[in-house]
Amino acid sequence: MSIRVMVVDDHPMWREAVERDLTEAGLEVVATASDGREALARVPAARPDVVLLDLQIPAPDGVAVTAAIAEQLPQTRVLILSASGEQADVLAAVKAGATGYLVKSASREELLDAVRRVAEGDAVFTPGLAGLVLGEFQRETVETPLTERETEVLRMVAKGLSYRQIAERLVVSHRTVQNHVQNTLRKLQMHNRVELTRYAIEHGLDQA
Amino acid sequence: MSTPRAAGTGHSPAAVAVENRLFRALAVLRVVVLLNTVGLSIYRSDDFTRPGLGAACLAVMTTWTVLVIRACAEPRRRTPLVLGTDLVLALGVLLLSPVAKGEDFTSSLPGFWIVGALLSWSIHYRWRGGLVAGALLAAADLTLRQDVTQSDYGNAFLLVIAGPIVGFMSGSVQQMATEREVAERAAAMAAERARLARAVHDGVLQVLALVQRRGRELGGPAAELGDLAGQQERELRRLIRTQDDLTPATEGTLDLVAELTALESRYPVTVSTPGRPVEVPSATARELVAAVAACLDNVRAHVGPDAPAWVLLQAFSDRVELSVRDDGPGIPAGRLAEAAAEGRLGVTGSIRGRLADLGGTAVLTTGDFGTEWELVVPVGSGA
Repeated sequence: MSIRVMVVDDHPMWREAVERDLTEAGLEVVATASDGREALARVPAARPDVVLLDLQIPAPDGVAVTAAIAEQLPQTRVLILSASGEQADVLAAVKAGATGYLVKSASREELLDAVRRVAEGDAVFTPGLAGLVLGEFQRETVETPLTERETEVLRMVAKGLSYRQIAERLVVSHRTVQNHVQNTLRKLQMHNRVELTRYAIEHGLDQA
Repeated sequence: MSTPRAAGTGHSPAAVAVENRLFRALAVLRVVVLLNTVGLSIYRSDDFTRPGLGAACLAVMTTWTVLVIRACAEPRRRTPLVLGTDLVLALGVLLLSPVAKGEDFTSSLPGFWIVGALLSWSIHYRWRGGLVAGALLAAADLTLRQDVTQSDYGNAFLLVIAGPIVGFMSGSVQQMATEREVAERAAAMAAERARLARAVHDGVLQVLALVQRRGRELGGPAAELGDLAGQQERELRRLIRTQDDLTPATEGTLDLVAELTALESRYPVTVSTPGRPVEVPSATARELVAAVAACLDNVRAHVGPDAPAWVLLQAFSDRVELSVRDDGPGIPAGRLAEAAAEGRLGVTGSIRGRLADLGGTAVLTTGDFGTEWELVVPVGSGA
């Protein structure tokens, strides 16, 4: 069964190019959308495996769309594709539940590889994103700190090592490395939820 | 809306808001001093030689207090007429003291009630108004006295001194409020500009990324165009990142995130950092960036001009850690020792030296997996 993908981007040229690449590679583009509202309206019926999401789209923005999809369709993975690589936005999207991040200048092969990996549940990190996530865990208020091994793996990702290189260095399987990376993402998202809940309670929003 | 109010005071909405607050506080004070005067007059009603006149004065004071509080509640009604009447009444009642209480009166008829007029002049006309009102009230009080006692002089002196001081402070607070309002507006405008710029940049980046992509697929001359677009795309993205980092840093410090990210334009390097500024003393930042640049020069010289490298910055409460890594063949065993034996300190020596000067360490790991420098520098309270 081919991977079902939804492409959300407000630039038609870009949307078509990505759509063509995906289709040629044998993936199924089940829906497209040009803004956040359209995306959220179409995603429940389309039930894609992966949403390829541009962060800078007309409201609601990519971060809000990511949060809504993570909430409503836990089986659907979100892969962020951003042109500008705005650090704060990327981090916010990953905290909101995105499984991976890629800059738009990534090659066709990198994109296809990322979509396939995300569909399998893998976390797709760039070294830049790993650095951001590491930074989040180095704050002192983290409730669920990373294990030493997870920190070690994430640090290696941030230093530009591929999963294969990391597996070789640590003498573990490729799968184990993937699990560690996935765990760090899970913890980051969990931490985000804890923070949001605390914020809600402090501001009396839980009473509503 | 923005027609200039009260010439010379050039009131901004923030300054008016401050003045409104001060007048509200003054309203409370006016009531307190009025009650005080009325109470004392009743308690010491024997002091009055003409109780009828005294009672009439107190009635006028009470009425005026109510009127002036109402009038001053609104900025546009704080007119010279209202404030002038306020001061004239205060002076008038003061000057009637010997008539109502006899030539040898001790406490004046209005008592502390006159501070209402004094402070309204201070608040509205700033230090000059305070000085004028204070001087007039003090002069009136002193001219009535048959012999000026120590405490009479003290009261007069206080009036003259308090008027301008309160006026000056009122002016300063209003000025600060205005300045803050201007700064807030500027910040909001800058944020809006940045938001618009992001939208524009994003569009350009999209097109550049697309050209790069299609170019690569088409091959030939189009691939060259694609490469050019790719270079510009990276450059623009880096510019945006450094621009975003332009948060006002504390005096004497630099943001390592911005400084290191800037290296991406000079070297084929990927810089990973935390998502927030990492401020360290300027000298430390410059030395660290120079050390990282030296590492990257080394990569360029020994691995290749286009060899990729990765820099990772990690910030802890007591130290910053920097890693510079490449995927090259590593430094052959013995070469460093050889260089040292020949008396050449070389790049490794200079990197270690820089770090030692900062009180930190530089550790080199090398092998067939590549070369990695780990630079650690203590910062913050631990430094």
